[in-house]
Amino acid sequence: MRDKTHDEQIERWAKFVKENPDKWKTEIKLFLDAQIIMAQRFYSKLAQTKEGREKIKVLRGL
Amino acid sequence: MNREIDNKTILDKFAEKFCEIIERHTKYFICSGFTAIAHGRTRGTEDIDMIIEKIPIEKFIQLHKELIREEFECIQSDNPEVLFENYLNTGLSIRYVQAGKNFAPPEMEVKFAKGELDKEQLKTRKRYPMTSLNIYFSPIEATIAFKEESLKSQKDLDDARHLRLIYQIDEGEIKRIKREIRKIKR
Repeated sequence: MRDKTHDEQIERWAKFVKENPDKWKTEIKLFLDAQIIMAQRFYSKLAQTKEGREKIKVLRGL
Repeated sequence: MNREIDNKTILDKFAEKFCEIIERHTKYFICSGFTAIAHGRTRGTEDIDMIIEKIPIEKFIQLHKELIREEFECIQSDNPEVLFENYLNTGLSIRYVQAGKNFAPPEMEVKFAKGELDKEQLKTRKRYPMTSLNIYFSPIEATIAFKEESLKSQKDLDDARHLRLIYQIDEGEIKRIKREIRKIKR
């Protein structure tokens, strides 16, 4: 649920990014990479299942 | 040790490699969500939005062939003539992913520039040292204007808020771009 703490966190993090241009990416690299790695792992598993490749086409709007 | 290279995310490397190829063939800019993510917004995305200058079909075929050689593949078709005629030329986007990954993200969503605002952004595109990326982005003011005036989802409004907090923003420029967006919507 979005309340004022959501906006406060945006402000807090933006302040950190602005004040730490050499550090911020280190803090979130694993988090950002994890989303891609998990998606690729999932698609790879799905492709190996029966009708998996067809499901991927549907997921990708083809 | 090169700290900046070590810090690059999968998304960064995908985007830089793609942009380097595109720049050899035509002008481009990256817009919307990846602009915010490259500036530290902590959220996921499946696609990166790219606008390219309109090019003739012969030039597009060369561009597509180079992308294939560099291990990208297009989700919609392997045939560059189909991609050009059925998609790009009709205002639709084409989507490239890394080859051999079962069409998994990340993907680059590529569209031809249309309208004055796109053309203007091709002229005013910028690299932002804060991102440490060798990529041209649409100007921050344009990104904020589109997110606040056109896209308007909570995610987009949060992106705009983040960018406003990072940079000294030219509010007059944002107002001007918003006026242009409203003209297009009419």
